[in-house]
Amino acid sequence: MKIDEMSDKELLNELEKRLRIKEADNRESAKLLKQLKEVNEKLNISEAMKSHFISNITNEIVNPFTSILGLSKNILAIKDNDLKKAKQMASLIFSEAFNLDFQLKNIFAAAKIEAGRFVPEFSQVDINALIKSIINDYKYKAEQKQLNIEFKITINTQIKDKLIFITDPEKLKIVLSNLINNSIKYSNATDKIKLEITGTNELLVITIRDFGKGIQEKNIKDIFNRFTKENMQINSMIRGHGLGLSVVKASLDILNGTIDVTSKPGYGSKFVISIPVPRNIDESNTFAIDSNEIFFDDEEIF
Amino acid sequence: MDNNNFKEHFLFPSTIYTSNSPAIVKTVLGSCVSVCLWDAINKCGGINHYMLPFWNGKGLASPKYGNIAIQKLIKEMIDIGCKRNNLIAKVFGGGEVIDVQSASFQIGVRNSVIAHEILRDEKIKIVSKSLGGKLGRKIQFNTFNGEVIMRYIKKINCDM
Repeated sequence: MKIDEMSDKELLNELEKRLRIKEADNRESAKLLKQLKEVNEKLNISEAMKSHFISNITNEIVNPFTSILGLSKNILAIKDNDLKKAKQMASLIFSEAFNLDFQLKNIFAAAKIEAGRFVPEFSQVDINALIKSIINDYKYKAEQKQLNIEFKITINTQIKDKLIFITDPEKLKIVLSNLINNSIKYSNATDKIKLEITGTNELLVITIRDFGKGIQEKNIKDIFNRFTKENMQINSMIRGHGLGLSVVKASLDILNGTIDVTSKPGYGSKFVISIPVPRNIDESNTFAIDSNEIFFDDEEIF
Repeated sequence: MDNNNFKEHFLFPSTIYTSNSPAIVKTVLGSCVSVCLWDAINKCGGINHYMLPFWNGKGLASPKYGNIAIQKLIKEMIDIGCKRNNLIAKVFGGGEVIDVQSASFQIGVRNSVIAHEILRDEKIKIVSKSLGGKLGRKIQFNTFNGEVIMRYIKKINCDM
């Protein structure tokens, strides 16, 4: 229809129709723009955290190294076989080196996860022994703050005295080390940490409870994000680079496990992890498809 | 080449595997997607297994997420000596194995869409695919000849 053949009413209708389409387009592009802004914002935050992480590394790695070097030099300079003095310094070196080792393990684990090379290696693990060895590793650190680590294990399996559970011991160790390290870090001196394990052949539940600083409710959802700490200031009293819990989360993902956090500022935090026994595993430690899958059709080749 | 000379690898979710020597890579897919890349001239292949389409910028930037897993796979293929122009892709998975009505879920579909989008942007041709549906898939990727053998499965307790 040509324009001069249209009535005024038809023209108006047509204009109105076009206007509506235009408005819808505008709304759509405004929506897209908003999404784009959000993505941009996320990228900016991510980038800022990354650079924060890098500057934090200086604090967390270079400084301990400097003190290790200084302290060992001092030991070398000790005269008259002053064993007591040497021991004191050696213990300082140990605690600095222990921290470094812990930080580096987290960084390497995070790098492996991000590279897609973090693969579970399942084996039969004596849970009791594993946890005792981890507690033992942290004994010195806990003693420094005069913390008492209470450990209780409840086993609901046929063999009562031992809890043998199929899992990846290294991943479990990294999870527990991080949680214990955090609870020591955020505890008040002379307090206690409670570690409770309940195990069956199917499910392992570990609860770690501290009575320290606690986490503010609005921050709980962010604690598993990488490079975040509740207090982001580099020189705060609380050390760490904020990778730990993101490594914990990813490790538990690999074990098909879950983690729950409850916390109250001033009253402490409780972390509960549950890990199921891996499904598709046979005796020989290799992946085998379990019997309860049903195949459909024949193989197809692509 | 005799199949006995092949390395065997089981690909876990959120991981990547690339190889320039003959290997058989197996994995099981529910709503997850695997992109197999293959370079016919250099006879090398690589595969990922991602669970969600997009990284939300928060947790670790791992190949659990499609946008990261596909880019990392392409990069690793080039690192082991492939030519980008030789790469072809085969894409599998993205089934809706868990019954969900809500359209906002549809992880399988969204996982498939991201594979198409990124591979299109990277100008890598998808030569074959098997996506969607209600069943899980078990695939076996031969990095030497690029062949993928697939079977549908109904897997109880499918967590992938």
